Amino acid sequence: MSVLRPLQPPDIKRATPLDEVLNLLPPNLRQMLSELPLALRETVEEIRIRQGRPLMLGLAQGDCYVTEKGEPASCVTDAYVVSAGDVERVTQLVSRSSLYALEEELRNGFITLPGGHRVGITGKVLTDQGVVRNIKYISGFNVRISRAVKGVADRVLPYLISPDGRFYHTVLVSPPRCGKTTLLRDLVRRLSEGIPELGFPGVNVGVVDERSEIAGCYRGIPQRDIGPRTDVLDACPKAAGMMMLLRSMGPAVIATDEIGRREDVAALEEVLNAGVKVLTTVHGASLEELADRPALQYLFKIKAIQRFVLLGRSKGVGTVEDIIDGRTMRSLGVKKC
Amino acid sequence: MVLSCTLIGMTVASSYSRRPGEIRSLLTALQMLETEVSYGATPLPEALAYVAERCDPRVALLFSRTAQELMTMRGITAREAWEMALNEYYPRSALTKTDRAILLELGNSLGISDREDQVKHLVLAKEQLKLEQAKAEEASLKNTKVYNYLGFLGGLTIVLILI
Repeated sequence: MSVLRPLQPPDIKRATPLDEVLNLLPPNLRQMLSELPLALRETVEEIRIRQGRPLMLGLAQGDCYVTEKGEPASCVTDAYVVSAGDVERVTQLVSRSSLYALEEELRNGFITLPGGHRVGITGKVLTDQGVVRNIKYISGFNVRISRAVKGVADRVLPYLISPDGRFYHTVLVSPPRCGKTTLLRDLVRRLSEGIPELGFPGVNVGVVDERSEIAGCYRGIPQRDIGPRTDVLDACPKAAGMMMLLRSMGPAVIATDEIGRREDVAALEEVLNAGVKVLTTVHGASLEELADRPALQYLFKIKAIQRFVLLGRSKGVGTVEDIIDGRTMRSLGVKKC
Repeated sequence: MVLSCTLIGMTVASSYSRRPGEIRSLLTALQMLETEVSYGATPLPEALAYVAERCDPRVALLFSRTAQELMTMRGITAREAWEMALNEYYPRSALTKTDRAILLELGNSLGISDREDQVKHLVLAKEQLKLEQAKAEEASLKNTKVYNYLGFLGGLTIVLILI
């Protein structure tokens, strides 16, 4: 049984975030990925495992194939082709041989792992009266490796705290994959810890983490550093979660990811009325684009949001393109930092 | 002479009477596992460890070994772990090949489907084991007596022949 051979230690023994997800993979894939050059192992963002198709890595710029010997390749013919057995094993390892315990997660299409890494899952979806019930015949995975990026909030924080040391209602606006959630997480951490240099004492922060992306909870326990005064409602619908936090946890700031639906905005308004500060994100490339969306239009009209932080990737992931004052709708003169 | 033959007879007889008891313990253990899976949705490694702690020590090995193998995360599937544990447990048990086949079959479906399906497979295995248990009990009633007498009488016969 070659499968049971213990994993050989890689030549270069420097721990990378990739190592944390390796034990989810069958031994043959572990071996391949641990043979990858160190630079690649340190920067890889995703491992794409699709049955009957080449094994691929998602990188900051583009992607690459992986050969059977664990070398990166650009030619598809060199790539290792993922077998049905591989997929079966990944399924078992990711689910800890307990698919039945993950029905809720399968309905959402992903599983959060210790360390905050996430595995997206595809296959045949079973529905019950139009509602997703489960995924059967699992055939594809996207292992997304998470990296804690601390300090990204530092350069925007001075613009988000008022001179008398209060946090402004803030919305982060960004297209997908521009570091929106990363910035949100770091802001939550700093607000929770307190920012002495800006005269801001740490406050209770409530996080409604509908997609388990902010805190990366594993069994309800945050796997990311989100600060000492942060309470997380994991996998909770945003609107309901905001109300729950408001009622019971006494937050000074409520943070959520990706406001978009009408009920989210309605809940947000409740939060604003309760005198609690709001920190949230919105998908979009510009403020003009947001103003066209019915649900968000209202938010603009009541002029409740005090700061809009626009993100992009003109100078790499997480570039702060601009910060705009929500009252005057003028730029605060921050350009591309 | 008579005594030693009687003892041999009794040993053989006891192996027949052990089996129904062990199957009964297995049934109880599988029932516990079913409850953990269906109501608790406990992940398999923990569910197995839980069962191993609470079930009859004679069958605990099967569950504790599987749990151990799975907890190492070294890349084996639940089926493989179950099979390895079964291979270790079976020779020490009083089970027959049929019982072993039923358990192996159960291993094929362990942990790979939703709750409903898991329960179905566990119930199926239990039903099959119950049938085996009935047969085992019948065999045990018959054979225990037979081997007890056979041992004693065999001893007696040998003694008589020798005299």
